Amino acid sequence: MQREGYVPPTAGGSGGGAGRSGGGGGYGDIPRQTSMKYLCADCGKAVTLNKGDPIRCKECGFRILYKERTKRMVQFEAR
Amino acid sequence: MPSTKKSVVARSSAGKAVFDTINREKRFRNPPTDKTAFPALQDAIKPHVDSWNAVFKDGGCLHQAIQEIGEKTVFDRLDGNAETGYGNKLTIRIANYYLGKSMLSSRDKSAMKREIYPAECRERHTSYRGQLQLELHYKVNNGEWQKEYRDCGLLPLMVMGNRCHLENMSPKSLVDHKEESEELGGYFIVSGNEKLVRMLIVNRRNYAMAVVRSSYAKRGPTYTNMGVQMRSVRPDQSCMTNVIHYLTDGNITFRFSWRKREYLVPVMMILKALVDTNDREIFEGIVGLDQREDTFLTDRLELLLRTYKAYTLYSRHETLAYLGDKFRIVMQVSPDVSDVEVGKLFLRKIVLVNLTDDGDKFRQLLFMIKKLYSLVAGTCAADNVDAAQHQEVLLGGFLYGQILKEKIEEYLLNIRSQVRSDLMGGVKAEFNSPQYMRKMLGKVNERIGESLHYFLSTGNLSSPSGLDLQQTTGFTVVAEKLNFYRYISHFRMVHRGSFFAQLKTTTVRKLLPESWGFLCPVHTPDGSPCGLLNHLAHKCQIATITSDCSNIPPLVLTLGVHSAKVLPVPADATLSVQLDGKIIGWCSPKDARRVADSLRFYKVEGTHAVPRDLEIGYVPISNGGQYPGVYLFSQEARMIRPVKYIPLDKEDFVGPFEQPFLNIAVTEPEIQNGDSHVEFDPTNILSIVANMTPFSDFNQSPRNMYQCQMGKQTMGTPGTAIRHRTDNKMYRIQTGQSPIVRAPLYNTYGLDNFPNGMNAVVAVIAYTGYDMDDAMIINKSAHERGFGYGTVYKTEKYDLAEKSKSKSPVLAFGWGWAPIGADHNTLAKYKAMKDKYNSTLDDMDGLPMVGQRVVEGDPVAVYHNMGTGETFFFKYKGSEGAFIDEVRLLGNDVGDSICQAISVKFRITRSPLIGDKFSSRHGQKGVCSQKWPAIDMPFSESGMQPDVIINPHAFPSRMTIGMFVESMAGKAGALHGFAQDCTPFKFNEENTAVEYFGHQLKEAGYNYYGNEPMYSGITGQEFHADIYLGVVYYQRLRHMVNDKYQVRSTGPVDSRTRQPVKGRKRMGGLRIGEMERDSLLAHGTAFLVQDRLLNCSDYHQTWVCRGCGSFLATTPTVNGGEKRAEVRCRRCAVKASEFDVGKKGYWEDGLGNRFLGGNDTTIVVIPYVLKYLDVELLAMGIQMKYDVSP
Repeated sequence: MQREGYVPPTAGGSGGGAGRSGGGGGYGDIPRQTSMKYLCADCGKAVTLNKGDPIRCKECGFRILYKERTKRMVQFEAR
Repeated sequence: MPSTKKSVVARSSAGKAVFDTINREKRFRNPPTDKTAFPALQDAIKPHVDSWNAVFKDGGCLHQAIQEIGEKTVFDRLDGNAETGYGNKLTIRIANYYLGKSMLSSRDKSAMKREIYPAECRERHTSYRGQLQLELHYKVNNGEWQKEYRDCGLLPLMVMGNRCHLENMSPKSLVDHKEESEELGGYFIVSGNEKLVRMLIVNRRNYAMAVVRSSYAKRGPTYTNMGVQMRSVRPDQSCMTNVIHYLTDGNITFRFSWRKREYLVPVMMILKALVDTNDREIFEGIVGLDQREDTFLTDRLELLLRTYKAYTLYSRHETLAYLGDKFRIVMQVSPDVSDVEVGKLFLRKIVLVNLTDDGDKFRQLLFMIKKLYSLVAGTCAADNVDAAQHQEVLLGGFLYGQILKEKIEEYLLNIRSQVRSDLMGGVKAEFNSPQYMRKMLGKVNERIGESLHYFLSTGNLSSPSGLDLQQTTGFTVVAEKLNFYRYISHFRMVHRGSFFAQLKTTTVRKLLPESWGFLCPVHTPDGSPCGLLNHLAHKCQIATITSDCSNIPPLVLTLGVHSAKVLPVPADATLSVQLDGKIIGWCSPKDARRVADSLRFYKVEGTHAVPRDLEIGYVPISNGGQYPGVYLFSQEARMIRPVKYIPLDKEDFVGPFEQPFLNIAVTEPEIQNGDSHVEFDPTNILSIVANMTPFSDFNQSPRNMYQCQMGKQTMGTPGTAIRHRTDNKMYRIQTGQSPIVRAPLYNTYGLDNFPNGMNAVVAVIAYTGYDMDDAMIINKSAHERGFGYGTVYKTEKYDLAEKSKSKSPVLAFGWGWAPIGADHNTLAKYKAMKDKYNSTLDDMDGLPMVGQRVVEGDPVAVYHNMGTGETFFFKYKGSEGAFIDEVRLLGNDVGDSICQAISVKFRITRSPLIGDKFSSRHGQKGVCSQKWPAIDMPFSESGMQPDVIINPHAFPSRMTIGMFVESMAGKAGALHGFAQDCTPFKFNEENTAVEYFGHQLKEAGYNYYGNEPMYSGITGQEFHADIYLGVVYYQRLRHMVNDKYQVRSTGPVDSRTRQPVKGRKRMGGLRIGEMERDSLLAHGTAFLVQDRLLNCSDYHQTWVCRGCGSFLATTPTVNGGEKRAEVRCRRCAVKASEFDVGKKGYWEDGLGNRFLGGNDTTIVVIPYVLKYLDVELLAMGIQMKYDVSP
């Protein structure tokens, strides 16, 4: 899977989240993605889930999905 | 010791103490595709897996158990079709069982892979189970058997057992299935936790043990403390203990317990019921030809025979009928069975159940009586129940099988009572109608799998019979993967039973010579479980199958043994030969020795069909010692261990029963004339963990015990499949190393896969003072290079289904997916969260972002009620900051539900801090007191700085010389680049360790004795003394300040007493107890006492009436005469009328009641609890009066 470039979380800008369609870091408005991408714990394929979808891999039917590491900037105080 | 005096070489390599780095790396990259590289590890857990397999294999214990349960019957008591007078007879039995592997349920139609592997169960926090099905047969009257298959729920399966998908998998495929390459199995997965049934010490089976126990005297009047006890075990491993008691008048009674109730029967009655016999036969069976003059014995036997005449039961038939009549109700036998049949059932189910033939039972019972009289006469000693000689190990699989057997029997009984209650309730119970049968069976509790699940998850045994065990709880433990030592120790652990933990006497805890080579003398915890919780020596195995001994009885007869069936036995044939509790013959003491020796020879040689694990216990005649005889044991649950049999120079397996009577030399040079065996290795007596202590023979023994404990508390490497594990808490060291100083067994057990510490350069020196009192100084640069850097993983499951309680999902994860009407609320919550917390849940699924940092109180997941649209958070509870390491979305079993549960793994970084605990491998623990800057560390002539500084005072009293030797060996090994063998018992007075390693050091250009001149890091001056500097393997223990520190200035208080609460979790304080108070008083620091006990505790100001001395009568005035509200004493005041308004001392209370006086009140300081005490006493009608002055 190709890595999406890092996008700074500006208000209204599209965040780096996988499969998102709405704004992410925007303060005030609720982000409005409709689907999220996960990884199947068995076959490793990407699984796109919409609201109300059961938790299962669409390829192999496995019942555990991993959340991918976030592509948003993660910054910590380095002390 | 090899003579490597002149040239320095690593001791021979093959399978020895070598680094073997290349092979290790290769194995990691390409796990073997055929078999494991470490069979020794597999052997270590074998008792667990093999016992499971023995139960669930074809024709295994469970099949035998089902046979043993037999048929149950019930009558409809309807007349008309009555042959027997009880109406129609319904007979039920279980004919077979089927236990499937762990599979998806048939409700899931779409999944391609239908197997559920253990890794999935761990990740989903579910249990690893397979479908249990019972084949129920029933027949009406004498009709055909009807078949019915009943699903009995999901039964937890043992990982790596014969119902596990992973059985016989190669390391490669194990890794493919998300397991360790060296996955061992032997445990169950229950709600994501790995649980194992721990091994339990029980009495040796099928051996008549002479017991003296004061509790025996309490059975009734005339009972003495003497008895002979036999724990008989059926082929299905269920057992029944029979005891015969000696009475003061010389009589003997037979005791057993049935469904937790005890019953006593005259032993003569049992004897007469077993076979058609007469008094003469019994007399001859007990009194040998040589004992005819022994009036002690003959007197008692005469009494035994005479007193029984009172029952006037003469034939076997009569006796059986009598027994049957008495025990019909107790044994819940069907009413159509005759009394004689019930009597036979009684004998089959209760008397010496290891034997099937009544003649054998008769002879064994006679032997028991003989032994009892011998015990009474003092010609034989009581057997020690606490010695390994008379013990065996109850294995997890067998216990599991026994419970399952009971549950299956219970199921049949439940069917019977269901039919009865149907009949009572007026339901038309037509046995012939399949509809009725199915309906009736539907009403019976069939959830057998569930009850076993309960057993595993709680460790509680709920059983109608108690399974002949002395405890009902604590059978299972979680196999914690803290580090590998701890993990593997769980499987080698044998517990004496929690019953003995409460015992006041310490005799059960003693280390006895009988356990040599079977139980490790070092590896037991100190404190309350000391000596009760033992570990198996690493070469000790446990038999899990009955060996084929069909050839033994004829073979023994050819060796000069007289058949047991011929009475009387010849005068010189005084010793019995028994095989698993069955008397196969009698022989003379001389012949007995020959029989035992020949059998052993054949056994090791592998001829005459003598099985290799047969235990040949030859107890010679002694002066008042153990009762003599030849006792052969071939069955399960025995501890056995390999030793070398000298005559054939081959491996022999010996058991704890025979060992005390064998001469086993410890080393080859020690072999003396008459020794039949020699140990393969003296270290065979140590457990796996105890073997990992380097040079343990140089240490004072308690230090080795401490190391066995601390090795198990080390922050190590739990495994390589950490990614696929969801343990509640897991510790991991990031910079683990392979120890330079190691025993070859380290490689045999593949412990390099699970490094447990770091090689550290250690200087023994009192430097800055920060190494006082077992503190240690860590070089700051070593710390920065990663010395001891660790991580803690915590997994939290967030379950919505638990919260909502309804069956269909009500709650759902996610943000804006709440219904549109709820948007407003959601928006507000979202804004509030963004303002308040430093972590955000910006992803639309409402789940945390992987890689994000969270601190206490941060939201980790957000969910909403799909009906009301209300939004809630799950919050992070830990007190330290953590990173989200993994987020799992967990589907349900069928995979058709929206996300109802997630599992979040948090990663908490734990770099070494001041206050963290470290230890070497010699029970030398210490706390890090400083991270000392490298520039100020002392340095050696070659410019080396220590990683760790410890104080020389740690050694004189503890005498851990092994640590010195390790230090030298490690230093030499590091300098020459090879691993050092640290197996104990390798050096001796002629060939000392110091010489050996000193020479190596010298060759490397270092001081012979391992000490070096060193220079102060601060002044640069050379120290007056040379400093002992070497390389020691250091472990970081899991006890860390971050989990322990407790501070408080003010904080939560108890609502009742207003004193600070206790407990670190609740931000509580530390109590100044009585003794602390004493010391403060002794110092004369009364103000400190007041400060601690009052000012900083429940300081309280209150009104008190000086007149009557009461707190409780004071009450505030409302609108009294004075303008200012005051507090008056209600008790001292007198009632006033309206005419008194305005008078001096007039006041009103809140209800408008008028009073005069009572104004002698004042404020005092008291501890608040005093007020509480006052009220409590008042409630009991006790008034407290306080004298307040001046």
